Amino acid sequence: MLLRVSGQVSGADVDLSLVMGHALGNGGVPHGQSLIAFVEAVMGDDNGVLANWREQLAEEIGGEGLVDAAAVIAMFNYVDRVADATGIPLDDMLDSTTREIRSHLGIDNFKLAKSG
Amino acid sequence: MTELSYESAPFAVRGDLTAAHRRAWRRLSHPGTWWTGHQRVAIAAETRKAQSCSLCRERRAAVSPFAIEGEHDSLGTLPEPIVDVIHRIRTDPGRLTQSWYQQVLVSGVSDAAYVEIVSVVATVVAVDTFARGIGIPAPALPDPVGGEPSRTRPASAKLDVAWVPMIGAEGTTGPEADLYGGGSLIPNIGRALSLVPAEARAFFDLSTAHYFSLNELMEVTKGRAISRPQIELIAARVSALNQCFY
Repeated sequence: MLLRVSGQVSGADVDLSLVMGHALGNGGVPHGQSLIAFVEAVMGDDNGVLANWREQLAEEIGGEGLVDAAAVIAMFNYVDRVADATGIPLDDMLDSTTREIRSHLGIDNFKLAKSG
Repeated sequence: MTELSYESAPFAVRGDLTAAHRRAWRRLSHPGTWWTGHQRVAIAAETRKAQSCSLCRERRAAVSPFAIEGEHDSLGTLPEPIVDVIHRIRTDPGRLTQSWYQQVLVSGVSDAAYVEIVSVVATVVAVDTFARGIGIPAPALPDPVGGEPSRTRPASAKLDVAWVPMIGAEGTTGPEADLYGGGSLIPNIGRALSLVPAEARAFFDLSTAHYFSLNELMEVTKGRAISRPQIELIAARVSALNQCFY
């Protein structure tokens, strides 16, 4: 949940429900809605939708920004598989500082589903 | 075969990113610690095949992926237990369980060989996801290089908080002295692959180009062409879609 910390440091009032697709507008993150739509399109299987959002996002944040966005999506597709397949727990610091947010957003349900 | 290139991509790709992917492809093609170059490339090819597997599709739609029996649509080059590991990590990682992992070990796959499979699958997923993001076909897999795996297991790896043994900060001595770069912050994700130190180093190599290095991780004002809050928003949404709590 470095989103909250990085938002606070940069002075942005980030609506964390954007992560779960529940926020209206950009959620306090510039181009937040388009970034979320691009993530969902890359992770989805509709190439037409992806092409539209790629074009839209490139117009909004430029080609360099789009490349960096794609790189982060790729990295966390990697990170999540490593985390899930090796069974690592959240780090103690993150676990304690994000407990309330994770509960509020329903992220802890992912953990419960794995242990079931 | 020709080296991985993004010259024809519709967007200019940072040189450090291209270089990191070339190194990843080079590592993929060479003998690893527990698998040969041929086997590593076969694992990579099977990772791609998993996306069109009808058994995996059926399992993903099921309440429990472990309730559905059947055979994977595979390339036929790897034993079925290995194919099952690859396909599950590729297509439904959020529902892997420790009891499933224990069954993998019982099937004859060692913990270290398993960790190397995880790394190869995740690497291919990363490179392929990036290609899809920028709108180009996934790059051709490299030709395998002959030779034998090193089969070296770090003596300092031990069972701790994960399913697999890992090297802690206190274990970074001898050949693993540089593993975590001497930094004080070693998140669990950075230790996850350390039973196979070469794969942990590969993780840090890719992470530095795609996201941040270990030393930059907590520099929460550091961004790239997009800001840190934008980067973290993307990261969090990907993990939510993968149903990964990490």
